Amino acid sequence: MGFLDKILAGEQGENMLMLGNEAVARGVIEAGVGVAATYPGTPSSEVGDVLSRVAEKAGIYFELSVNEKVAVEVAYAAAITGVRSFAFMKHVGVNVASDVIMSAAYTGVRAGMVIMTADDPSMFSSQNEQDNRHYADLAHLPMVEPSNPQEALQFLVSAFGISETLGIPVIFRTTTRVSHQRARVSLGAKIPITHADRGHPGVGSYTTLPSVARKLRAVLSEKMEKAMEISESTDLTRIEKHGDCRVGFITAGEGYNCLYDVLMDHSIGSEVLKLGMTSPLPTAKIASFLARHEEVFVVEELDPYLEGKVRGIAQLKSIPARIYGKMDGIFPKEFEYSPDIVEASLSKVLSMKLDKTGEPPNLETLPPRPPVLCPGCPHRSTYYAVKRAVRMSGLKEVVYSSDIGCYTLGAYEPFNTADVVLEMGSSIGIGAGLGKVTDRKVISFIGDSTFFHSGIPPLINAVRNGSRMTVVIMDNSTTAMTGQQTNPGLNLDGMGIPSDPVSIESIVRSAGVKDIFVADPYDLKNFLGVMLQSLKIDRVSVVIARRECAILRDREMRKNGKLAVYAVEQEKCGLCMNCVENFSCPAISIVEGRITIDPELCDGCGVCAEPMVCPFRAIRVAE
Amino acid sequence: MNIILSGIGGQGVVTAGIIISEASSAAGVEVVMSEIHGMSQRGGSVMVEVRTGNVRSPVVPNGKADLILGIEEIEGIRVIGKARRDALVLINRETRSPVYLGIRRSEYPEESELLKIGQNFSRLQFVDAYEMARKAGDGKAAGTALIGYAIAERALPFGRSETERALKIVLPSKALQTNINALHMGMEASNGTKTLVS
Repeated sequence: MGFLDKILAGEQGENMLMLGNEAVARGVIEAGVGVAATYPGTPSSEVGDVLSRVAEKAGIYFELSVNEKVAVEVAYAAAITGVRSFAFMKHVGVNVASDVIMSAAYTGVRAGMVIMTADDPSMFSSQNEQDNRHYADLAHLPMVEPSNPQEALQFLVSAFGISETLGIPVIFRTTTRVSHQRARVSLGAKIPITHADRGHPGVGSYTTLPSVARKLRAVLSEKMEKAMEISESTDLTRIEKHGDCRVGFITAGEGYNCLYDVLMDHSIGSEVLKLGMTSPLPTAKIASFLARHEEVFVVEELDPYLEGKVRGIAQLKSIPARIYGKMDGIFPKEFEYSPDIVEASLSKVLSMKLDKTGEPPNLETLPPRPPVLCPGCPHRSTYYAVKRAVRMSGLKEVVYSSDIGCYTLGAYEPFNTADVVLEMGSSIGIGAGLGKVTDRKVISFIGDSTFFHSGIPPLINAVRNGSRMTVVIMDNSTTAMTGQQTNPGLNLDGMGIPSDPVSIESIVRSAGVKDIFVADPYDLKNFLGVMLQSLKIDRVSVVIARRECAILRDREMRKNGKLAVYAVEQEKCGLCMNCVENFSCPAISIVEGRITIDPELCDGCGVCAEPMVCPFRAIRVAE
Repeated sequence: MNIILSGIGGQGVVTAGIIISEASSAAGVEVVMSEIHGMSQRGGSVMVEVRTGNVRSPVVPNGKADLILGIEEIEGIRVIGKARRDALVLINRETRSPVYLGIRRSEYPEESELLKIGQNFSRLQFVDAYEMARKAGDGKAAGTALIGYAIAERALPFGRSETERALKIVLPSKALQTNINALHMGMEASNGTKTLVS
């Protein structure tokens, strides 16, 4: 049985080594979810990668939505119609979806609905490390937080039960170290998908007119009071006792994992309140826990979310326990925890014997390896040609407004084509603003998937308000950075079912753009010509740089045995170094004074062989 | 025990981590693993942490790794601060030049320069795992050869049979024999290899 088949068909009690996100996908199947929707984003993407392959067989409707807001709307529609639904995304995706989430809390749902936020402490692949636990407070929704893959599966199934009992969506929060943790998981029983009632959702209570919303607001408070009762008694929250139980610890998520390791290492007599449901907090349980201990540490990553509430409970109930956390500077407020960070923090208060690790090695002389575009990546060709066009146009300084995707890596040398990047779609919105205030030329870069996600309204805005900029839509026909998911520009949907692609050109034209160019960046000379033309235009112009992602092309070529790799004819090479200095493909390097192409890395795109990169024409297909 | 694997995208670093995790599991040892890919698809740094025994966080504390498997030279040395001074540090002789160097018209550092950075680690060794993997049929099996070497050095909590069982679970059938061969070559190499730095 293959891995995916086992996720789909594995029986209760079987176990398998699973990534946290794979365990979540299994949880979706076990919970009898009928509709699941997402927009891919690290560290949540693998949930969708599993569902896209097994959903059809499992009888689940799965979609890769155009953005997170729409994903939550699709899931909400299912849940108010009586079908269990799941929407999942990375933490910043919740910002996009927050508009619908805030009001979905008011109306509530009929079948279970869970919204997963995969947070990224330390920002391994994100623009910020916002702590999405605050969304539970902002929306007044219950929240569940697992610490490992086994809990990810079980807690998700429980979250659906909680949602259904209360009639409101539940937030399910993971972090990178939970979503990307691999461990052995014991599978549970599968609840059949219930289509309890697929009729009309019911008239009245889903229409959030002010008059209705005022009534719903009171109902939401009642539901959260019931949620408090669940939080007091749920087995998602547990107490662990070690040794003499002297010191108290309140913790959740990966914070718990780090704490556990330190408690074991140092045999600290402790009682640990491990919270699985972190909104609303069980006030009575926490109060009695605080009353049992003179000293209580709150161990959590990022903001003092639990700590503030724990201190509030102590104050409210006049409990004298000494509470340690971030607010008093014991624990760091930024970045993810590791066992040694928790150990160092605890040692400020508790007497602990710390190992001496010695001076760390000096890595200053080690060459850095910033993230890099793949060999054969069409974005490299686009940036190379854009830079050349800017130089040839005699433009002194250009402001580059970039966006979220692989092409953000243009921020690194040698391209330096990202002066400002904030969030999905920002390239065009900020670019349009820049065009109003700077006397420099503005060039915006945005990928195909990001354009569909949130590039369209700012493009309309830019045209409508007479902005000046060149927008380069880097259409590599996939959502590349998160693992080559499909998007609305392609002819297969999220379940692999044929679907009519949406044309980027048509959208751009309808937005009112008069100057639209389409060119293949692999053809550098032609692409350069197009860029030179577009840079002369003093209003919004759009260049669609269309060339399939190298990873997709590479897979196809390898399958057909057609992948040709390139090599350098040393007698012709003039050692001008242009290829390594300015084109900078990872397959090309200098070895013993000679330009060398690594055949294992070469993707066979052949762009380096074009005279614009190699004026000596020394690069050719290897024999 | 704490194990760090590092290399670059496309070298099978995550796969090698899963092989170690499955083999640990097959030996009845509890295991947690964590993988960090960063932003790159291919060619960027990848680091995998594997921890066995009664631990819950998948993050190896600084200075506590017992074994480092560097599948690419620079990347192997980059994570050395995670290792104990007496950890076994195995660096595969395979180089992938960062574009950073080409932009500066520079070349990949010599092995001696890398050894100098790791001079306080007494059990740092370079291993011809890539060469073994190529002889076995595919350079991408270098991670498996390195695992074989570590097994023969008794640096992993499992042996050959558990690893072979793991290879069967993790790899597609067409890659299996190559990897079994690479595993055996790695195991055999350890007996004759001298420690390069002491």
